[in-house]
Amino acid sequence: MNCFLWFIVFSKRKEPPMFPFNAEMETDKISKLPGHIMDRILSHLSLRDAVRTSVLSSRWRYKWVTLPHLVFDNQSVVLSSQDQTLIKNRIVNIIDHVLLLHVGPIHKFKLSHRELQGASDIDRWILFLSRGSVKEFVLEIWKGLRYKLPSSLFICQKLIHLELFNCLLKPPPKFDGFKILNSLDLQHITMDQDVFEHMISSCPLLERLTLMNFDGFIHLNICAPNLLFFDVGGVFENVSLENTFHLAIVSIGLYANAGYDQNVILGNTGNMIKFFAHLPRIQRLEVQCFFLKYLAAGKVPGRLPTPCIELNYLSIRINFNDVEENLAALCLLRSCPNIQELEMLARPEEQTSVRAVANILEEDYLSCPFNQLQLVKIAGISGGRQELDFINFLLANSPVLERMTIKPAALDGALELLKELLRLRRASVRAEIIYLDPER
Amino acid sequence: MMSYIWLQTADGSIQQVEQEVAMFCPSICHEIQTGMGSSKNCAISLPSQVNPAMLSLILDYCRFHQVRGHSNKEHKSFDEKFVRMDTKTLCELTSAADSLQLKPLVDLTSCALARMIEGKTPEEIRETFHLPDDLTEEEKLEPLRNISDDPRIRLLNRLYARKRKELKERDRSKNVEVEEELVDERSVDDLLLFINGGNGASKDVRASKSKKKNRKRKDQQNCAPSNCTDKESNVLNSMRHNAKAHSHFLPNFGDALKLHIEDDRFAPEGDFDDGVDDPVLREEIDREVEDFARRLNSDWPERMQEILSLGQERKRAPMSTDWNGSLRTYARLDLVQK
Repeated sequence: MNCFLWFIVFSKRKEPPMFPFNAEMETDKISKLPGHIMDRILSHLSLRDAVRTSVLSSRWRYKWVTLPHLVFDNQSVVLSSQDQTLIKNRIVNIIDHVLLLHVGPIHKFKLSHRELQGASDIDRWILFLSRGSVKEFVLEIWKGLRYKLPSSLFICQKLIHLELFNCLLKPPPKFDGFKILNSLDLQHITMDQDVFEHMISSCPLLERLTLMNFDGFIHLNICAPNLLFFDVGGVFENVSLENTFHLAIVSIGLYANAGYDQNVILGNTGNMIKFFAHLPRIQRLEVQCFFLKYLAAGKVPGRLPTPCIELNYLSIRINFNDVEENLAALCLLRSCPNIQELEMLARPEEQTSVRAVANILEEDYLSCPFNQLQLVKIAGISGGRQELDFINFLLANSPVLERMTIKPAALDGALELLKELLRLRRASVRAEIIYLDPER
Repeated sequence: MMSYIWLQTADGSIQQVEQEVAMFCPSICHEIQTGMGSSKNCAISLPSQVNPAMLSLILDYCRFHQVRGHSNKEHKSFDEKFVRMDTKTLCELTSAADSLQLKPLVDLTSCALARMIEGKTPEEIRETFHLPDDLTEEEKLEPLRNISDDPRIRLLNRLYARKRKELKERDRSKNVEVEEELVDERSVDDLLLFINGGNGASKDVRASKSKKKNRKRKDQQNCAPSNCTDKESNVLNSMRHNAKAHSHFLPNFGDALKLHIEDDRFAPEGDFDDGVDDPVLREEIDREVEDFARRLNSDWPERMQEILSLGQERKRAPMSTDWNGSLRTYARLDLVQK
């Protein structure tokens, strides 16, 4: 009984925690920061941590609800079970909860949980977002079939950045593009040819376009006057860049090895000239997979009609045994007088071309100074004649070369390769040739 | 020939500052352009959040950053050292920088504050920022139910449960009548959700980020279309990360999209385990609970008394019965765990 009394007496002396000390109120500076600063602080945290701040004190209960960026991924929604229904219910529950409690505009919405499959709940959330003014929308469906986007997504006219992974796009017929869309990233998506073309041409402010592994269309007809960055990897029949005079960074990978019959390509302009017709300001170019083969189809001139004077970085995936590809590469190189960095990667699984190999004449390797070329990387070679000729050509024409890195495909023949490399003359006194061991 | 401008802080004191440095703040820059600040009489009056101490910090920041010669590394190391201050000053500085529209500094300080919040328990955060702990237990549990599945929360609850049990036993020994056991109305699902939260699966699930965008290596050996597309291999990779040691899964590429993982160790629905399978982890948590208990021991009994006594006065009257109900539940769970 005594100790009971003691508790009561003691507790009366101390202030109950419900009424904070005045001193505490003074030192509690953070709770008084204005809403927009609190949003900024909380947006550095994962959504999960941000919501957890609601238990800190009464003032913090609803500080997180005005967060303009909502990211639902594996960090914000932590799950332990593997049961698909449980997972789905959990994720849906959480997102519904957050959206209901949320107050104010949502500027960025990202849903990218590795366990979530496409579900009709996503439709509901997109509808909710379309009523607001969402600016960035990222949806990544990591499991299951292509998720068909609801038509309400196409009403979000405030979109600046749209990123989709494993989705099916079928906009309503009245859809007329996203008028202020700046960046579009579509990977593992399906859409029809006309839908694709319409999408690109009706987004006038589009500056960045990424396309990877797409189905449903094979002609890349890109008409985008403000495009600056273009990254594509997939299977397509042709590329046509129209009105893309500002395009500065291009990376193209053609994943399929289509045979290009020379006779079929009609007209005087081969793919090479057509491709570069509207690329005067290009600065970085990556020609990956089989795209060089595509460029080599048709007539390949000695050099392009207008040189790419702003191009400073070039990376080419090439089959050194294919004469056409070699000529195409040479044409490219000759058209880039200001190139600073060059990377050439050999396509190893290609077999030796049936045509006679020693076709590249001396005159094809006409002197063509690369006055800015400083760094060259060559990988995957095996020491063939073509490859050595090319290296020789580069060394002889690069007066300011600093470093050339060579990495063969395999150890066999590496010693022979080294012997040949030693012999080659170099135009640059500072040039280092660095040999890297092949990867296992 | 350096030109100076005059700035006046909220407390009335006026100081002279190099113009270049002060121009780094957009709002001061704006004022200068309208002709203010050229002499002592028309000094630019700064917003109330900017007291002399804050002003000197802000000027230090501006002085460094307005020089163009520094490398990124130098900027970063300066920034890191700059934000090493107590939370009170940091908050004031954020406020002051915001009032001067100095965005880079606001970003820097916000990030520093976020780092102080990240990954800490509520207690630690309250301590760091001197926040009053003025929420009821119920209010604390509500938002956590769906979002946070934290072992620390479970730890706290274990502690509370234990304390309640002790108190109950103490009451019992004083021959206080114990009410009939109330039926717990809360659904099994609710409790499960609360208890059965993520138990460290987070580290498995966090698969590597850059799998989707294979920009650099998109032209590998198998760039010809094969059965294993990027996504399928990604799915498989993430599967590999998720599956626990004992689980079985079908490594059939064709069915990759419809993979079904059977996890032997997945606790079935009826189990009231709190999700901690690992005995080592459980032991550790037990130890931590003891530690925690010891730490809280000094004020816990008083709090209990306060809550009990104040419960009747306020509108929290319904809470007290709920609270008793939850007490009942936790006690029961505790018994089940044993």
